[in-house]
Parts: sequence; C-alpha cells; structure tokens
Amino acid sequence: MLLPVFTLKLRHKISPRMVAVGRYDGTHTCLAAATQAGKVFIHNPYARSQHLNTPRLLQSPLDADVSLLNINQAVSCLTAGILNPELGHDCLLVGTQTNLLAYDVYNNSDLFYREVTDGANAIVLGTLGDIPSPLAIIGGNCALQGFDYEGNDLFWTVTGDNVHSLALCDFDGDGKKELLVGSEDFDIRVFKEDEIVAEMAETETITSLCPMYGSRFGYALSNGTVGVYDKTARYWRIKSKNHAVSIHAFDLNSDGVRELITGWSNGKVDARSDRTGEVIFKDNFSSAIAGVVEGDYRMDGHVQLICCSVDGEVRGYLPGGAEMKGNLMDTSVEQDLIRELSQKKQNLLLELRNYEENSKAESSSPMNESDGQRGIIPANTKLQTALSVNLGSDSQAAHVELRISTSNDTIIRAVLIFAEGIFTGESHVVHPSIQNLSNCIQISITPPKDVPVDLHMKTFVGYRNSTQFHVFELTRQLPRFAMYALSNPDPTKEPLSFVNFTVNERVQRVVMWLNQNFLLPEDSEIQNAPFQVCFTSLRNAGHLYIKIKPSGEITVSTDDIDLAGDIIQSMASFFAIEDLQVEADFPVYFEELRKVLVKVDEYHSVHQKLSADMADHSNLIRSLLVRAEDARLMRDMKTMKKRYVELYDLNKDLLNGYKIRCNNHTELLSNLKAVNQAIQRAGRLRVGKPKNQVVSACRDAIRSNNLNMLFRIMRVGTASS
Amino acid sequence: MGSIEMDPLLLAWSYFRRRKFQQCADLCTQVLEKAPYDQEPDSDVPVSQAAWILKTRALTEMVYVDEIDVDQEGIAEMVLDENAIAQVARPGTSLRLPGTNQIAGPSPAVRPLTQTGRPITGFVRPGTQSGRPGTMEQAIRTPRTAYTAHPISSSSGRYVRLGTASMLTNPDGPFINLSRLNLTKYAQKPKFAKALFEYIFHHENDVKNALDLAALSTEHSQYKDWWWKVQIGKCYYRLGMYREAEKQFKSALKQQEMVDTFLYLAKVYTSLDQPVTALNLFKQGLDKFPGEVTLLCGIARIYEAMNNISSAAEYYKDVLKQDNTHVEAIACIGSNHFYSDQPEIALRFYRRLLQMGVYNCQLFNNLGLCCFYAQQYDMTLTSFERALSLSENEEEAADVWYNLGHIAVGIGDLSLAYQCFRLALVNNNNHAEAYNNLAVLEMRKGHVEQARALLQTASSLAPHMYEPHFNFAALSDKIGDLQRSYVAAQKSEAAFPDHIDTQHLIKQLKQHFAML
Repeated sequence: MLLPVFTLKLRHKISPRMVAVGRYDGTHTCLAAATQAGKVFIHNPYARSQHLNTPRLLQSPLDADVSLLNINQAVSCLTAGILNPELGHDCLLVGTQTNLLAYDVYNNSDLFYREVTDGANAIVLGTLGDIPSPLAIIGGNCALQGFDYEGNDLFWTVTGDNVHSLALCDFDGDGKKELLVGSEDFDIRVFKEDEIVAEMAETETITSLCPMYGSRFGYALSNGTVGVYDKTARYWRIKSKNHAVSIHAFDLNSDGVRELITGWSNGKVDARSDRTGEVIFKDNFSSAIAGVVEGDYRMDGHVQLICCSVDGEVRGYLPGGAEMKGNLMDTSVEQDLIRELSQKKQNLLLELRNYEENSKAESSSPMNESDGQRGIIPANTKLQTALSVNLGSDSQAAHVELRISTSNDTIIRAVLIFAEGIFTGESHVVHPSIQNLSNCIQISITPPKDVPVDLHMKTFVGYRNSTQFHVFELTRQLPRFAMYALSNPDPTKEPLSFVNFTVNERVQRVVMWLNQNFLLPEDSEIQNAPFQVCFTSLRNAGHLYIKIKPSGEITVSTDDIDLAGDIIQSMASFFAIEDLQVEADFPVYFEELRKVLVKVDEYHSVHQKLSADMADHSNLIRSLLVRAEDARLMRDMKTMKKRYVELYDLNKDLLNGYKIRCNNHTELLSNLKAVNQAIQRAGRLRVGKPKNQVVSACRDAIRSNNLNMLFRIMRVGTASS
Repeated sequence: MGSIEMDPLLLAWSYFRRRKFQQCADLCTQVLEKAPYDQEPDSDVPVSQAAWILKTRALTEMVYVDEIDVDQEGIAEMVLDENAIAQVARPGTSLRLPGTNQIAGPSPAVRPLTQTGRPITGFVRPGTQSGRPGTMEQAIRTPRTAYTAHPISSSSGRYVRLGTASMLTNPDGPFINLSRLNLTKYAQKPKFAKALFEYIFHHENDVKNALDLAALSTEHSQYKDWWWKVQIGKCYYRLGMYREAEKQFKSALKQQEMVDTFLYLAKVYTSLDQPVTALNLFKQGLDKFPGEVTLLCGIARIYEAMNNISSAAEYYKDVLKQDNTHVEAIACIGSNHFYSDQPEIALRFYRRLLQMGVYNCQLFNNLGLCCFYAQQYDMTLTSFERALSLSENEEEAADVWYNLGHIAVGIGDLSLAYQCFRLALVNNNNHAEAYNNLAVLEMRKGHVEQARALLQTASSLAPHMYEPHFNFAALSDKIGDLQRSYVAAQKSEAAFPDHIDTQHLIKQLKQHFAML
C-alpha cells in the first residue's frame, strides 16, 4: 500500500485543472494554482526563513507560505515552465478568456501580456517542431497561437472547433514534438507545426491530453472516458460515470514505464497501467480532484506525484520502491479480485452445463419442434446486411437504412449496434416486441457528421420461442457520405458555389472512390469521362454535383463549404495527393462572412467604448466609497447615507453595463469563431502546402483588414493574383 | 497710424509664441466673431479655421501640466487597488514593501524615514510622501493628521481642479460644447483632431470623449500614427485601465521610439507595481536614447522607492553628468551625502542649487544643517534665519524650528533647544519628532510623567518611527514598569529590527521576566 509522503491543507480553493508546478526562483519547487475571485496562489514552503527577516509581514506560518497574485479575471488555464531559457528560472503563464499573461514570479515582472481575442481555454509550454525557442501555445475558439518569451506569436493556425486540451508529444517519432489538440467537435488533431498530420475522431469533447512516452498519449473525455492512444491506434479505454478532471503520466511503481494517473471528479485518484488500463493504485480524497502534477516538492532529489483537491488538500506520493514489487494496493483489493474470479468461474460452469445439455439432447433425439427452445439453429444460417438510402416518407425523415436478415426461417431477436459518434451513448439496441419478430430487421441510421464509421453489430438469432440465442458478430463500414442520395441531375437546381481542381487519375479510380464513399443504389455503370453525378443531402436537401472532364478536371458544386472540404480531403487521401491547389467560389458563404467581418469591427468599437465607460464608472464608485467612508468617520450619517444611495444606483448602472458588455462579448466571440472557422474551411478545400499558405495568407489579410484580399485568397488560394 | 495694423491672426500667433495665452485667446475670439464660425470647422474659411485651432491650443496651453511627472495617487486608488499582480511580492521587487531592503541604504538610525518607512528623499515629488495605508480608515484619517493630504481619487483630485479652473476663464460658457461635437467628422481631419484632442483631454478633462476621438482618429489614420496610440494610452492610463494602456504604448513604441512613450509605459508598470519591468524598460530606452536625462532620472527614482539608495545615487550622478543643472539629482545626491555623514560635500551640492537660483526655505534649512555639521558655525544661524524668513507656511517654520532645536542640543544649550522644540510644536502640533525630542529633554529634567505623555503622543502620531517607542521603553524600564517597557520595545523592534539598543533592552527584559 502506497501512502502519501506528505499532506498539506492549504486554506484556498483550487479551480479544477488549474494547477502547475514550477521553480520560479530556479531552485525551489512551488505549487501554483488558480483560486476564487480571479486570483492565483503560489505555495512556497521554503520561504519561511526569509520571512523571519521581514517583520512587517506578520502572518501565520501557513499563510506565509501562500502568496496571492491578482489576475482580476477568471483564470481559464495555467501552466509554468521555462519560457525564456536565458532567464534560468520558470515563469508562470496565466490565460483568461481575453488575455495571456507570462509572469516572472521571482522578479515580480511581466514577460509579456497579450490580448488574445479568441480566448485561452488550454495552454501548453514547450518546443514545437523546428521552432527553436520554447513556445507558450494556447488554444482558444478555433485558433491556436504560440508565443515566445517576448510575446511574439511565432505560431498561429486554425482548427475545427473550440480547443479544450493541448499536449506536446513526439507523435511520429522524429525527435521533434508535435502538437495534439483536443477540441469540442470530438476530434484529436495532430499538428506538425501548422500542418495536420493525423485526426482521430472520439465520441465526446476531449477535456485533457497528456503525453506518456514515445508516441503514446493519454486522453480524457467529458463523458468520463479515459484511455491511451499509440499514434492513431487506441490501446485501451475505460468509462466511468464520474469525470476525469486531470490526467498525468507518472511512473508510480518504478518499473520504468509511466502509468496514467487520473484524478476524478468524485475525489478518486487512480493509476492505470499504460498497456492494459488495469488499476494498480488508487486513493480517495474528500472532494473532487483539481489537478495532478509532479515535482520535487520536498527538495530531496526525488520527484513526487502531487495530487490536489478543490478544497486545497495536497498529497504527495513517492514512487513505490522495489520492495513493494509493484503491489501498491492494499489487501482488500486482492480479495476483491478473488471474488471476481470465483464469480467468473461460476458463470463458466453454468455455460459448460448448458453446452453439455445441448449436446445430450442432440445425441438423444432427432430434430423436432422442441429444438427451438434449446437454441439450436441450422448450421448454414447466414446473416445478411445491406445498407441503403431511404428517402423517407411523411412520417419519417430521410435516413440510411441498415437491413439485417437471416437466410432461413430463424428470427432476429435483438440487434446491438456499437458505433462511435452516430448514436447518443455509442451503442444502439433494437429488440422488436415478441409479436413482430421476423427474420428481417430494418434500422434507420442518421450519422450527424460525414465520417466513415465501423458498425459493430451483434445479432441474436434463434427461434421464436427459444430462450437461448446465437450471437452473430459482424462489422460493416458505413461509407463517409452515406447521407447523400443519388438523384437525377436538374440543371436549374445546380448550386452556384463550386470547387475546381485537377487530378491525374483515371476515371475508373474516381468511380471507385464514389462507390466507396457513397451509398450508390447498385454499382453504377462505369461511365466514360466526362460524366456527372448528382446527389441530394438527406439532412437539408442540398444538392451536390460532381463533374469530371476527360482532362481530369473535377468540379464539385455544393453550397455547403464543409461538404466540399470533406470531399476534397477524402479524395486526397484516396488518391494519395500530397499538394492540391483548387479554385473555389462560395458566393453565399462569402457574403455571410463579409457581414460577419463588418460586425466584428462594430463589436470591437462598441466594446472599446463600453470598457472605457466601465472604467470611468468604477473610478467614480471608488471615490464615492471613500467619500461615504469619510462621512462615516466624521459621524455625518446623513451624507453617508446619501453617498451610499448614490453608490447603490451607480452600482446598478454598472451591473447593467456589464450585462450589455457580456452580450457584446459573446456576440463578438461567436463572430470571431465564425471567422476562424471560415479560414479553416478555406484551408480544408486545399491539401498540403497550399492549405498552409491559405491559412497564413488569410490571417495576414485579416490583420491588415483587407477584406477583398481575404476573399481572393479564399477563391484562388494565393494573395497575389 | 490706424491704417497700418497687424493682421490679427498673426498677432495672435505671436502672442501664442510669447506664451501670452490669454491675449491670444481673446484675439482669436474676436477673429472668430468677425468670421462667424460655428462648431463645425468649415474648409471655406481658412482664417477662421486657423483662429479656431490657435484658440484651442492657447486654451490648452494655459492649463497644460506635464503629465509624466504630475501623478498623484488618490486614496481610492491606494486602498481599492488590485492592479498589482503579486499581493506580497518578493522583497526587492515591489514598491509596496519598503524597509525590506536595508543592505543598500543607511540605517534608519542615521536617516529618518517617511511615514511608509522609506528614507526621506532629497526632493519632494508627488508620491514620495505617500504612504500605503493598511485600511481605508487609516487612509482617510492620515490626511487629517499629517500634512500630506491625498485627494480622494486621482480622477477627482488635481485633474478636476484643473478642469474647473479653466471653466472660470470663460464666463459665457465653454468655448467648445463637447456634447454637440461630431467627433467622427473631426477625426477625418488630423490637424483639427490633434488640437481638439489636447483641448478635451487637458482643458475639459473629459477623458471619455477624448478617448472616443482618439479611437476614431487612429482608425482614420489606419493605425499608423504613433501619436494617437500614445494619446489613447494616456486616456486609458487616466481611466485606470493599465493593461490597455500598456498595449497602446507598446504598439506606439514599435512604430516610433520616443522618450515620452518610454516614460508613460514605465509609469504604467509602476502603477502595476512591477518596478523590475519598469527598470528593464528604462534600460531599453537608454539603449535607444543614450544618456537621456529623464530616463536616468526615472531609474534613480525607482531605485530610491525600493530603498536601494546607493544605486539611486549612482544614477543621479549619471543624470548630473548629462545635465549638471538638474535640481532633483543635485538635491538627492546632496541629501544622500548628508545622511552618509559627509556634510561638507552635501554643502557643496546645496550651494550649487543656490547658485542656480533656487531660493527657498527648505534649501536654507538644509544649508544651515550642513554648515553646522561641517563645523562652519558662522553660517549656521544666518542660514536658519534666512530659512525662517522665507518659510511660506507654518509647517515649514515648524521644520526649521525643529532643526534649530537640534543645533541647540548640539551646542549644549538645552534651554534654547527646549524653546525651539516648543516653537516647532506651536507651528505644527503634529510634529512627532519634536514631541520625541522634547520628551527626551523632559526626561533629562526628571519630569517623567510629562516625558511619558509626550512620547505617547509622538508614537501615536508616527507609529513608523522607532525612536519614541524605544525611548518609552527605556523610560518605563528605568521607572520599573517592565510590562509597558516590553510592549514598547517590541514595537520599536518592529519598526527597526536591527536596532542594537532595542535588542539589548529586550534581552535584558526577558532575563528579568525569566527571573520572576
């Protein structure tokens, strides 16, 4: 049993996930954490001797260890580390919804203070790719920004949705770090500098990411899932009804391999083996965990695992030594295991007896009606599945239909489908009522996103009155663009927006791609170029035209810029295209974007005015407060009352102003997000180098406020015509 | 003769150049009356345009105060300020924790401290005497007892006084009616906008409107005019939005490096209580503008505020190398020499000030003290006499009498000393040092009760001084009141931890208590 080597009770609340350990003076390890009222506290247990010399600071010993920093805004992310290698000590980085502060705690001085309009939801500090200086990388609304110690942004790119977690990890094993980004659209993206090298779809918002070792990293989702990836392959995952607040990689059993330490919202901390996910250690706190970090907190040369709870309880654990033989749990856990194993044995015995009885029945009597009850089905029973597009009826919206049928008179009792991202909660069970049982079942599927999904189906097959069923397991892939039905070309309805590009591929290959990615009614006859196909979206009845000319020029016409991007990305990976420049025009979307940009300008100027107003008001409030206190000290109660009444009114004004400002800010944020998304979408229409060029050129255009240039870049892909 | 008349506009301009702003403004008013010109500057009438600008500028110049130096922190800012990041910063990195860096300066036994526990400087600036009181009550009470009155808040303090003063000059209402201005229109015309901005900012003291105008103008100049950025920064600074101000100043510095911008930015950092950042900034500024006096002086002031007197003196010397008539540097170096026991050298600095035409009570007072300690007795009393005759108010006279009392003690004339201290108290009955010294004299006469009462008054008036506490402790010890003696000794130790006599006394008392 591993016991904490130290326990501290800090009398400050700790905000979840806002914990960092740093050596702010270069030698002593201190704990920094965000607490209430926009403050950050630093716990520095080594300063006591210094404080003896400064009798002006008479504080109780524990309070003396904690110093508070005013941030005056809700802290949204916090980290510590070496940002300026010449400085020789760590600096503290505090992100809020509007700003990023790099603060040198030792010298009480800013390294930089930057306004980040996209907010800072997550932060990570370290070197990225080939950029030599360490960067503080923040993730906000659809944007990623990396700052060096002078506050210059050396790295900027956009991503699909609001960023919730970041990590640096050597993903492809080339010795340089790649950036892992977990965002609200359930994707983990891997950036090699500003190029996306991999994307993994998850089932919920990714709340935390942490590098383990090599290309392996841990992740946590907002639905309580925790797991480990190695490159793009998932090693294991577990799901809990609690939320994983913080994950951290730490070698707790001294076997040379780091374990995944998870801090849960119910106060549990557990360590899981990186290979199997098996729990090797757990401990309980009285309140939710706020953060799990590591550091040499006792200054004895050993790194401890430090767990903090939201109530300010801090426990440190030393890795178990060799004498513990990796056995970190107490004995009761072993008993649990024995109980579990005996339960398993019981189940197996039951199953065995079942088989024995079945075989006995088979040997004793030939087939008769009672067979059904025993659960025997013909050996040649086959299960057939078919995916098709159902255009829907009055009672039912259009959907993709999955049809499962057996090859004989056996019936399907139930179907269990497991697929990520299609159903709420990952799996879907269909069990017709006992009267409606048949050998065929139809299941409607409406995938919300255009992603290829593997449907893992478990089908219970048997007879109508069987009590035991055979389970058929099979896997079927749902094509990426399953939600688009082939329709007849109608030239009047052809969308105005289009993407034009050229690929050096034979028409047959394009047809293959079509077959693989769309649900075509039957294998469409091989056509010669030029040909054109037309699809209708089942979601919003939008049209999609794909035209191919003999020269290999492909035109994708759709009003949905996301769909166009998806199609291009899908084609690029199918044809293994590395760089693709396209010509695109989305007049409707661009017009909307233009309006959004104008609005952003408006909101900016209104925002400035409102802030000035607020500052003016707060100055007035201060002076009123002093005047009121002054009156109180002079026992002039009448004036004091008058002042306080004025103060009350002014305060109400201020609150109203704040509400207006809040609304303004949320509007601004959503518009900025739309702009970032537009850049990202424009990027997605290209592949490889042109993509990065578009993203950076768009940003320059927005910085210089040159709207026409922005739209030209989005159309043709470069700034120069 | 009447036919040859100067063009009124040229005359007005000439008045402006000669800094006769009132005449200039009057003339401009006449010109404007002749060519009626409403709020809107009309491009058809260039004369009235010019007159309008000239009048605006003249009115501004009348009330213009150099903003970089004049910055008075109000009570509200002091007590309700949360702009500093670190509440309790490491000693030596903050302006708020004086008295923690004793290595570099003389000990308080030699150099007296101001209320906040900073050694007194040789030059009075807004802020040198300001304390940072613990509670609001203390903050409000202090100005009533001491003569370092704070305005309630900076926005309601000096700036408002300036603004209202300017109103009086125009009995028929303000020259420009701000509420009727169409700021967007003015922002299109940079020349008008600049004059108008300065008028709104300095004369009307309407920071919010000034900010609006500046924001519109900088937009019109496509964010390429550093001047507007500095002005926006100034507005933000005035509104207490330091972070926004910092951003504007930094952006302005990127476009055009100006000494003023460096100074403003350093002011922002000082307000954020980040002296180290401010020092770094000044040093950056010195790289661009080597030997710039204001920058050097800024460094020296920050070191002084952090109690690092020797570094401050170094920089003041650098200032003098560049500008040998810099009054502040001379005065600070002089007082530094005086307190480091070199009155002869201090005397030379003060005489230099006298040569430069500084002729006031404080200077003669200092000269008198220096003469006394440099044993030039013939000059001592004449200097003090001059100082007394030049004293402008009772507080100054009290200080002079107090110093005269010192001289009297020094020459052994105790009855003269007694009278001097009494006179000091007559002039200023909050003079804690005089109470203390008077108590010592009473003590020598054996009037224990009077001495105790005086010491108690002194310690309640100036809790930051260790002397009354220690004297009280020593007195109580002598008459056998060990408990009170111990309490007072502890207070004395808190005010001055390294005071040997206090430590001895406490040790002795502890032995007594142990014996009991």
